[in-house]
Amino acid sequence: MKFSLKLLLSTVMVLAAALGFTGYFFVNYVFETSLSREARQALDENSILRFAFETAALNVPTKYDVLQDHTLEQIASNLETSGQRTGRLLRLSGEEKNVLYASEGFEADSALLLQAEENVRSWQVIFLSGRYYVQTVSGLHAMDRMLYLETLRDVSEVFEERELGFVVYRRVTVLMLALGACIMHFIASVLTRPIRQLKKATKRMAAGEYGYRAKRLSADELGQLTRDFNRMAQALEENMKELEAQVQDREDFVAAFAHELKTPLTSIIGYADMLRSRRLDEEKSFLSANYIYTEGKRLEAMSLRLLDIIVTKRQKVEFQTVSVQLLFDYLQEMFTAREDMEFLFSCEEAMVSMEANLIKTVLINLVDNACKASEEHGRVAVTGKREDAGYRFAVQDHGVGIEREEISKITKAFYMVDKSRARSKNGAGLGLALCVEILALHGSRLKIESETGKGSRFSFVLPMAEREAV
Amino acid sequence: MIKILIVDDEKPICDLIDLNLSAAGYCCQTVQDGLKAAELIEKESFDLILLDIMLPGASGYDIMEYVRPMGIPVIFITAKHEVRDRVKGLKLGADDYLVKPFDVVELLARVEAVLRRYNKSNQVLTAGDVTVDVEARRVTKAGKEVALTNKEFGLLVLFIRNKNVALFRETLYERVWEEEYFGDSRTLDLHVQRLRKKLGWEKKLAAVYKVGYRLEEPK
Repeated sequence: MKFSLKLLLSTVMVLAAALGFTGYFFVNYVFETSLSREARQALDENSILRFAFETAALNVPTKYDVLQDHTLEQIASNLETSGQRTGRLLRLSGEEKNVLYASEGFEADSALLLQAEENVRSWQVIFLSGRYYVQTVSGLHAMDRMLYLETLRDVSEVFEERELGFVVYRRVTVLMLALGACIMHFIASVLTRPIRQLKKATKRMAAGEYGYRAKRLSADELGQLTRDFNRMAQALEENMKELEAQVQDREDFVAAFAHELKTPLTSIIGYADMLRSRRLDEEKSFLSANYIYTEGKRLEAMSLRLLDIIVTKRQKVEFQTVSVQLLFDYLQEMFTAREDMEFLFSCEEAMVSMEANLIKTVLINLVDNACKASEEHGRVAVTGKREDAGYRFAVQDHGVGIEREEISKITKAFYMVDKSRARSKNGAGLGLALCVEILALHGSRLKIESETGKGSRFSFVLPMAEREAV
Repeated sequence: MIKILIVDDEKPICDLIDLNLSAAGYCCQTVQDGLKAAELIEKESFDLILLDIMLPGASGYDIMEYVRPMGIPVIFITAKHEVRDRVKGLKLGADDYLVKPFDVVELLARVEAVLRRYNKSNQVLTAGDVTVDVEARRVTKAGKEVALTNKEFGLLVLFIRNKNVALFRETLYERVWEEEYFGDSRTLDLHVQRLRKKLGWEKKLAAVYKVGYRLEEPK
């Protein structure tokens, strides 16, 4: 059963019980008050009649010491007829509760009379031939006689009013219930909207629409639940995207690797096949053999680089404290032999914590890349500078630069911005990928700034050695 | 003469294809850049284009789109071997798809097949006084018709298309029988023997020690 329906039904049930109880109590209360008022009036009437009777009895000529029965009858009859318009009904009984006079239509039994006492007025409700009456009784003294006077007062109206009250109240109750059900239905559906939203969201997500979010409709617990659910979905989606990206990266790597492997293989196999199955002239033989050699070398370089990356990834490095000056001396010595480029080495002396051989590899790679990007006799500047965060190494060239959308891709394995250019300079597209791995081991990142046509700047920060930092 | 354009960003591979196709009697031109390839295609007319997919400038797919309305046959030669890549290439209108690394013999056969489909290939091959009409499957020696079986005919065509090339036993077997070669070459040897006998090519169809056979023709 739907939650909103449950809510609706339980509310309607409570409402019905409450309305029924209040209705019954209220109508009954009105009835009780009316009835007791009627009874009081009936008793008052009884008192008036008694008084009138006693007065009348006093006025009887005192021919006799004792009131005769027919005299009493006479008085009672007079009393009855004097109130004819009101349909007065009375009954007069003697001391032994024997009936002396009764109005026509006074058909009540003598149960009340039998209980009556001399000085107590009492009353009861009786039902006579389809009508309700209040029957009262009281004792009276006339001359020396002890008499009992009973009256009947028609109170059917009070009972009819009660019936009518019940009927009206039932109608009102039914109407209120219907109205209440409608309102509750509306309220329940408004209150359960967040739940339906969540239900929809879970369904959509289960169907694979991971980006779908439940709308947050309130600030209450359901709203909080929705918010938490959305947060969970967000976290899951991010996780999933990350995993997908990882898988994509791996696939890209494998595809790129296969491509890079197949290209030199095609040449090697093709030329070797030519050599073995054709009689080639000397020039062609040399060309073929040379291609086999250079492409083989390319494969070798690539496999070594790949190995470097794999090994670096698994390596646990030990950091040494290295003098930057010594490191720069080493680089300077290595590169000054190259006469086609202009190098500029400058550094502030400092002791930096690093794995020296790996950082050398990074710097050599960066300088190599800078040379590849530059024109002949271009200038490559290698600088070292203290910074707040540590020591910054930077390699700057004034070469072709890198386009903005390429920057994020160039650190991926096998990625080459200008393939034919890189290839002609014997690149495999693995250098920067290796640099990134090595810097990751040092807890550092490669920062790349570049402008097409103006050159690029690759830099990274390493921590100072501890005794320097103190 | 049939003109073939070779587009591949790797110079060694361009040269490799160039050398082999030239030896087979085609006129080749090589280019290593997508944009330059498009320029060349616009300027000159080619009978066939061998196209790599990963190219600097413009990708092979781009060039394919550009070439399609011209009706020039195209064979993709690429390292991308996945089915979806091949399907993409063929759907774009390529006539064939060759995955690197490839065998030179296979390359020649595919080039031949595509050219034949476009009626551009030499349908009549000759070697000495032997003439082979590939389409009609008719072989004549000095004007007299020679009856050959299917396999013998296939062998003969393969030899004539690869004159002066030592054809390896496995290559011959795989190309003619279209089955994988498992080292049992007696069937092959038998067929070659009968071919020699029927054409009187005992000396011309030379056995190459430990390799296979070669059709020798003085240049």
